This record gives sequence, C-alpha cells and structure tokens, in this order.
Amino acid sequence: MVEVLSGPTGRGSYSGALLEVENLHVEFHTRQGVAKAVNGVTYSVNPGETLAVLGESGSGKSVTAQTIMGILDMPPGKVTGGEIRFRGVDILKLPEEQRRRIRGEGISMVFQDALSALNPVFPVGWQIAEMFRIHRGSSRSDAKKKAVELMDRVRIPGARDRVNDFPHQFSGGMRQRIMIAMAIALDPEILIADEPTTALDVTVQAQIMGLLADLQRDSNMGLILITHDLGVVADVADKIAVMYGGRIVETAPVHDLYRTPAHPYTKGLLESIPRVDLKGQELYAIKGMPPNLLEMPSGCAFHPRCPYRREDCATAVPPLYPISGTRGSACHYWREVVDGSR
Amino acid sequence: MGRYTIRRLLQLIPVLLGTTFLINYMVWQLPGDPFAGRCGQRPCPDSYVSAMRAQFGLDQPILLQYWQFLKNMLSGNLGVDFNQVPVVTQLADAWPITIRLALLAVAIEAVIGISAGVLSGLKRGGFIDNVVTISTLFLLSLPVFVTGFLLQWLLGVQFQIITPTVSDEAPIMELIVPAFVLASLNMAFTARLTRTSIVENRRSDYVRTAIAKGLTNRRVVGVHLLRNSLIPVLTFLGTEVGSLMSGAIITEGIFNIHGIGGLLYRAITGQDYTIVVPIASLLVLVYLVSNLLVDLLYGVLDPRIRYE
Repeated sequence: MVEVLSGPTGRGSYSGALLEVENLHVEFHTRQGVAKAVNGVTYSVNPGETLAVLGESGSGKSVTAQTIMGILDMPPGKVTGGEIRFRGVDILKLPEEQRRRIRGEGISMVFQDALSALNPVFPVGWQIAEMFRIHRGSSRSDAKKKAVELMDRVRIPGARDRVNDFPHQFSGGMRQRIMIAMAIALDPEILIADEPTTALDVTVQAQIMGLLADLQRDSNMGLILITHDLGVVADVADKIAVMYGGRIVETAPVHDLYRTPAHPYTKGLLESIPRVDLKGQELYAIKGMPPNLLEMPSGCAFHPRCPYRREDCATAVPPLYPISGTRGSACHYWREVVDGSR
Repeated sequence: MGRYTIRRLLQLIPVLLGTTFLINYMVWQLPGDPFAGRCGQRPCPDSYVSAMRAQFGLDQPILLQYWQFLKNMLSGNLGVDFNQVPVVTQLADAWPITIRLALLAVAIEAVIGISAGVLSGLKRGGFIDNVVTISTLFLLSLPVFVTGFLLQWLLGVQFQIITPTVSDEAPIMELIVPAFVLASLNMAFTARLTRTSIVENRRSDYVRTAIAKGLTNRRVVGVHLLRNSLIPVLTFLGTEVGSLMSGAIITEGIFNIHGIGGLLYRAITGQDYTIVVPIASLLVLVYLVSNLLVDLLYGVLDPRIRYE
C-alpha cells in the first residue's frame, strides 16, 4: 500500500470532502489550435453522495472525469491548472505509480460502450479476476471465485456458467453489468459512471441505474454520474452540476434545480423535455449550436444562445454566483431566470 | 470446430487433385525433349531416347501418366530420376535442410519483425520509429538476391565473419545469415503490420479500460494491447510459410545450400520432371496445410470468429 491509501490520509481520517476538483483547466493542442475543454471546473463528492454532471457533448464533463482517472491522452490533452484532491491529496502531483494504485482501488470508472470497453479476446470472468490478481495478488482460482461472486452481485443470471464467456456473447445490459462488476471489484470509494446507460434500451437503463443506486447504498461510495439525459438523474442524484463550454454554469440539489432552474441553459434543457400535458404543442429547443471549443464566445459562453442576454454578457465572464448555501448559478441575471420573467 | 476441420480437410482433396494435374500437364507440355541433350556433343541415339521414354512413360497419354503419378505419390515410391538415382532419397536429403532454413526464417521474422513493430508503434514519430520505418523501406525495396549477395560479400568476404557458402550438412549456425536474407522481405512487412496494428489498437476503448483498472503499463501493453494487435500479424506469418519455402530457391542458390531450392533449380535446367513434379506438389501441400492451420489458429486467437 502507498501513503495515499493508508497513513495519515487513509480511509475516513480526512475531514474535508472525499474528492474535490478545484478550478481545473484542461486544454487540447490540435492542429487547428488550442481547444479549451475544461475552464475552471470545481466540484466535490462525499461518501454515499451522488453527483450528477449534466451537459451536452463537448461540455467538458467526460474530460474532467478522464482527468480524475488519469486516463486522458496526453498529448494532445494537457492539464493547465487546478487541483484534484482525493482524501486531501492532490493526485495530479503524485508520481505515476501511486496514481496507478488509486485506479480501481480508490477511484473506479464505468464507460459508456461496454462492448468496446471490454477486451474482446478475454473471458469476462478473467477480466474481472484480473483486478484481484494485479491489485491484491490473489491466486487464479481465488480471483475467479470472487469474479463469480461479483457477477452474482450485479445480478447476472447463471454467473457460474457464464464466467468463461466472452463479451460478445452477452447482451448490452449484461455487458454493462460486467463493466460495473469490474469497477466495484476492489470496493472503491469513488465510482465514476460516464454515460453508463446511453448505449442501452430504456427499460435496461432503469435497471442499470437501479443497480448503481443499490450498490452505492450498500458500500457507501461516492458516485459521479455523467450524463446528458436529465430524465436519468432525477431519481438517483443528490446534487447536480450543469456544465456548458467547459464550465459549471449551475450547481444545485437535484429537486431545487428541477423546480426553479437558475441558469438560462438549465431552464432551456428542462423546457426541451417532452411532456405529456403539453402534447400537440411544438417542443422547445435551445437556439443555436454548442460553442466551438477553439473559438469560445467572449464573456459568458452561453450568451449567443441566451434569451436573457444583455450587452455586458458578451464582455464579462459570470462567476458562479452563490444563491443559497448549496446553490450557485453562473448567470449575471439569475434573479430574472428564477423569477421566470423573460 | 472438429466438423469444420474435417470439412476443410476434405476440401483439400479436390484442390490437391486439380493443382497436381495442372503441374503434371504443364510440365509435360514444355517444349524440347528431355532426353535429346543427354549424350554430350552428339544427339542421343533413337534407341536410347525411345527406351527412356518407355521407362518414364512419356509415350503414354497424359491422363494415364497422371494416374501413374498419383499411384506413386500415394505409395511413397517415386521411382528414379533420369540419372537412375532414387527420387525419394534426394528429397529426403533436401527437405530437412529447407525446413530448417524456413523455420529459422520464420523465427527471425517473428522475433525481429514484431519487436521492431511494437517498439515503433508505441512511440510513433520517435527515434526508433524513424529507424524502423527507414530500414523496412530499405529492405522492402531491395530484391532478395541483392540483399543476399550483399550480405554474402560483406560478412563472408570482406569481414569474414561467416563462411560465404553453407557446408553440406547445413548446421544452424551457418544458416542464420541465409535465413535472415530469406526472411528480410517478410520481416519488414511484419514490422510494418505490427506497427499499424499497435497504433490502431493503442487508442482503443479496452486499452483505456485496462489503464483505468490500475494495471501496470507493462501489463496494459504486454497483455491487453499485444494480444489483440498480434492477430493479423500471426495470420500473415502463417500464410507466408508456404511462400517462404518456394522463395528459398534464390537464397539456397546464393549460399549454395543443398535444400529443395537447389534441387528444384538443377532439375528444371536439366528438364528432369521426375523431381520437379513431386517438389512442386509438396510445396502446394505445404501451402494448403499452413493456410488451414492459420484459419484454425485464427479461431483460437479471436473468440469472436465462429466455425459452423
């Protein structure tokens, strides 16, 4: 074990939040120029808490998660500022070997497309068992026994008979369960789920979300749920961080956010959900296109698409204004948004 | 898989019949009389020519000759060549040497080609990558006989590290440089194929997963990345075993190795079909069997492949 996992900052002895991302900046250096993917993201997760990170493609939500995991391709990616503290230790400053040991043991990740994320040429049981063999030095037979237990735990029917099957022999939902089994194998404190249900049928989506919620309750781990689907997060999340153009534009406890959104973007997202009581009416859509990361709009990145726009929105970058203890909105005119006047 | 193998083996029969018939037919259709020039300065007497034609059945129709050839192949009795030396003993002397040369060449291809490909693929644009790209381009653009004569002259004559020609018993140590020459083209191709495969798979999702699992870099590359990247490379190496054997003709000529290449060359110039036909047929068989083995190996390497 390394110092990060035991010693003065070991499990439970640190008083701050379990995982804190602070003012993180990530850039990609491409042939076309510098793409600013993450521009000062700050969030935190505590044991047993679920943070939903909401945003469209290119909002920086996945890049933030990949930076936490340390699986960002560098180059072209580059962390240009900020800290990621796990139990109070800035893991961005740790040597690679210590970071490697945190992966799987401390922080784990579930990916979107389990078919391509699982190795096609190894049996699923072998891939789960690898966690125990590498991190814990378990014997092959012990590790395999634990793999079967985990497959049972994520409710794969007939786990014992299927442990030697290959990923392509499973359905999409079952494959995602195997990914989850692999991620929770070592009982991590933080689980990052990057769009875990996007590639699945709606009925299977609900099962997977339910499974994640159950597993979290049993083990009291912190869950970061990355999604672009507002409907998925309502039941399971405790708090939500809405991202746009590499920034957090609104953060709030989940029910407050649904009841009274305090940022025009969040409000637009909520209004563009189809509702049964408004059947027959034209569906609302946020005008314009997501920002080009190579040429970010000046001032507030959302201002070209914003119905509340004033002149100063194009020049002054809005900070995350505190609304109440746990809420914040990065809009100069959040009061108007909350009041509903447009 | 068992049924698939049996079906594939049964498929070999018509292919073998067809190819061996074509070999027989074409060889007997070649212009010139094989016996006319065997009596020094003067033309051979008619009595000799007709006696020889009768002995080797050249006066019979082609179908009958082919039937005789099949019977001989199946019984293992290939008779004697035009000099009345048993064909089987000549083949038995030559085959082991060529097989040794070919296996050594495959080993060189695999070890050097794959290592070079992996190293250059992992650090694309780095120093090793440039060295590998340039040297493989060099090897690919040189014909085998140029590489062969060059190495023979350089290592054998100038620096005298090796003996320029291989002795009759063809010990492994003397075969290393000839095997390298024989392997050179395929080795360069193997390196490039491996490099492409590594580059392609390095950014794949399952490699990212392997990193996210907290595996050591050595394990991510050595187990997860390599296992997937080597599937096309091993298939290539397997299918090339057959062509390696026939390609040995040039290399064996340069280094004076008494394998089937040399035997085949002498038999062709002497128009001795009793040797040309069995060797060509055996080369076909080697090619077919190695292809079958590769197809079966493919299913072992990639579980997504289904045999029905």
